[in-house]
Amino acid sequence: MSELASSPDSAVSTPTKMRPGDLDELRAAILDTSGPVGISGAGTAADWAGPLGAVETVLDTTALTGVITHNPGDMTVSVRAGTPLRALVEELSSHGQHVSLDAARIADGATVGGLLATGDAGPSALVYGTLRDLVIGTTLVLADGTIAHNGGHVIKNVAGFDLAKLMHGSYGTLAVVAEVVLRLHPVPKATATLALDCPLDEAPDHAARVLGGPFEPVALEWVDGTLLVRIEGTEAALDARAARVAEALDTDERHFRRTGSDDGAARQGWGAHDAAVRGAPGSAVLRIGALPSRLPALIGSLPGVTAVTAGLGTGVATVSLDPAGVAEAHALVHAAGGTSVVRSRPAGSDVPAWGPPPSAVAVLRSVKNVFDPQGRFGPGRFDPWM
Amino acid sequence: MALDPAVRSAFEQVLEPRDVISDPVGCRAYECDGLTGYRVTPELVLLPRDAAQVAAAVAVCAEHRVPFVARGAGTGLSGGALPVAEGVVISLARLKRVLEVDPVNRRAVVEPGVTNLEITAAASPHGLYYAPDPSSQQVCTIGGNVAENSGGAHCLKYGFTTNHVYSAEVVLPDGSVVTLGTDTGEQAGPDLRGVFLGSEGTLGITTKITVKLLRTPETVRTLLADFPSVRAAGDVVSDIVSAGIVPAAVEMMDTLAIEAAEEAVHAGYTVGVPAALVVELDGPVEECDSQFEQVKAICEKHGCTRLHIAGSPEERAAIWRGRKAAFAAVGRISPDYFVQDGVVPRTRLAEVLDRIAELGRDAGIRVANVFHAGDGNLHPLVLYSAALGETERAEKLSGEIAELCVEFGGSLSGEHGIGTDKACSMPKMFTEDDLAVMQRVRDAFDGHNICNPGKVLPTPRLCGERPGKYEPHPLEESGVIERL
Repeated sequence: MSELASSPDSAVSTPTKMRPGDLDELRAAILDTSGPVGISGAGTAADWAGPLGAVETVLDTTALTGVITHNPGDMTVSVRAGTPLRALVEELSSHGQHVSLDAARIADGATVGGLLATGDAGPSALVYGTLRDLVIGTTLVLADGTIAHNGGHVIKNVAGFDLAKLMHGSYGTLAVVAEVVLRLHPVPKATATLALDCPLDEAPDHAARVLGGPFEPVALEWVDGTLLVRIEGTEAALDARAARVAEALDTDERHFRRTGSDDGAARQGWGAHDAAVRGAPGSAVLRIGALPSRLPALIGSLPGVTAVTAGLGTGVATVSLDPAGVAEAHALVHAAGGTSVVRSRPAGSDVPAWGPPPSAVAVLRSVKNVFDPQGRFGPGRFDPWM
Repeated sequence: MALDPAVRSAFEQVLEPRDVISDPVGCRAYECDGLTGYRVTPELVLLPRDAAQVAAAVAVCAEHRVPFVARGAGTGLSGGALPVAEGVVISLARLKRVLEVDPVNRRAVVEPGVTNLEITAAASPHGLYYAPDPSSQQVCTIGGNVAENSGGAHCLKYGFTTNHVYSAEVVLPDGSVVTLGTDTGEQAGPDLRGVFLGSEGTLGITTKITVKLLRTPETVRTLLADFPSVRAAGDVVSDIVSAGIVPAAVEMMDTLAIEAAEEAVHAGYTVGVPAALVVELDGPVEECDSQFEQVKAICEKHGCTRLHIAGSPEERAAIWRGRKAAFAAVGRISPDYFVQDGVVPRTRLAEVLDRIAELGRDAGIRVANVFHAGDGNLHPLVLYSAALGETERAEKLSGEIAELCVEFGGSLSGEHGIGTDKACSMPKMFTEDDLAVMQRVRDAFDGHNICNPGKVLPTPRLCGERPGKYEPHPLEESGVIERL
């Protein structure tokens, strides 16, 4: 294991960085230290949720990389959690398989473990769900050094409690995810995106026609003035379906930008989505989930919004807004029955990461207590809930 | 030891007295679920009429430390709803309202006693349906589906119950009521809904569930194909998958299963062939048709001896009737049977089936196979005659098959659950530490161990000192516990 000593001139409080290279080293690193621990991957979401409190140790997972087993015929892969998903997808591509997750920060090198811990997902969650729906097993290391496996290498499996789900959105507060088993999907033979310019308040009607039809869109996202609809399929059949989707959208022909998978315009459309997810400079970025029918009006009511991407089928949106408006935004989302979390904030700004706690907050505390009774992992991430 | 009369009167204060069943004959109706070999008569059966009464009843249990077992339709196949002696059964049968169907947001809000198929019935006027389809969908309830994370023939493409539940209102074992999950895929913190789903009634009782509805597929194409060997049929499945096709369902039946099904429902299967495959594709018409041609070509390439394409909804229904009847139909070729539910990696299907046949031959017991080939979820039917004294041998074989699946890198259970049936096999699949961490989760929800105790995780009381339970336990021999 490489222990990256802090530089001599740094402040006394600089944590010791440990970079274990395998499961045993990871366990040893946890057992050899006793104080609070921050878990870091590629650092693409380091400032999401509550700011990490004072820690003595940072566990860097980026040396825990590589595929452990890939079973192409079974469409499953087990991988060390520090592996960048981008690298994994590249490796799988020669088998015509991929992980059906299109979170924007995958392109920035986000790790499998980091994506799981932050519960990140992209527009194709409409069909494929979030990473919680794609993870079929994990190996965890708890704060007391216990190594626990759950799930397995088969997609269909109900043996034992599904602890992998607990890691989804845990922001490194329950356990270190060391290994992840994923179910894979075939890479679509062809994809097409249809784009329709429209204001947010008109978008739900267009979306309803697409969702109400037999078209099975894999993504449906309104991004700052444009509704994007992505469909996937076979080379032979896709064009006919794209034409039908265009017909269902049924507005003035000139608004359509029908694009193929390799077309620059399609990439541009989804590129705008990715940019909106990353957020506007100087803004706080808020991730929101709310009932799809309530989402457009909710977004319209938020103060100081500067960028929006909204999944009209999923009910999940990412908005950039004035940091001063975050507390009010949390309250508005909560009042609409939704959930919200701050994903990034301008350096130095003090914005509340979370809104009012969910009804099950006592269960969250209880789960935290049995996994990590000393509160070692990820202090601050869920402040002020736990 | 009987329940303290004070406890009974506490239940009678929070429920109507007539909804508290205490006479042994009435209670005996609840002594087992679909796994009828295990029977325990509960002290009381509670029949709450709404969520508030469920919460109040659980609060009484918590106060008096009375173990409770939630029960839906009682169709579970792993003894998950087996009552606990000196405990109570809380039946959710009366919570059976469909509270809301929301076609705009494509979801429904239902009470736990609603059957799986009733959800689809309520949604279908809007062109929507509820995707998970366990074979018992006409009678099994959504509350039970949530507890078991039920699957079904179409979960290869559409996923399991866990992928189709947005949120659940849950009465925790301390009587408090919380909502797990949200209206979307975004959760505030760890996915508690995800760990609750499939926890087999050990973490609480759900009283309201919001499920995802999907649009009814535009097109469905179904075929039934016969093959000269199980291996050839297995190769077809592999080729379909390698072609990048995700069928809605791929089911396989072997000679014995076909024979039984044909005898029972005359669905048009070919008696005597070594293997039959049911392949179903659904989706937008263009995609469905183009992939269906590929599937037909793959079947022919592997020496398919007969290819029957359903030409009408009736013909499709007949094919499924044969498949779904297979379980009950083995009753026609055998007086008794056990059904197993292990999962193996799909690529090892042929190997595992050979081994199962070998184990069956060694035991002198016939095994019929009908299974979800697409996801490797086997359902070996171990055929025996209790009257001829074959029970013990059959039970041993059944356990060996489940554990064989684990040896092949699979799982003890794909959809039926661990329950009482396979709790003692869990150490074959998980280490002591793995199981201890699962126990921690249980402790986090149920600090007093009153919520469906004795299920899922092995206990020394039931399993003895060492893993593997198919020897009669001393407690069993002395009549303290009962297992038929």
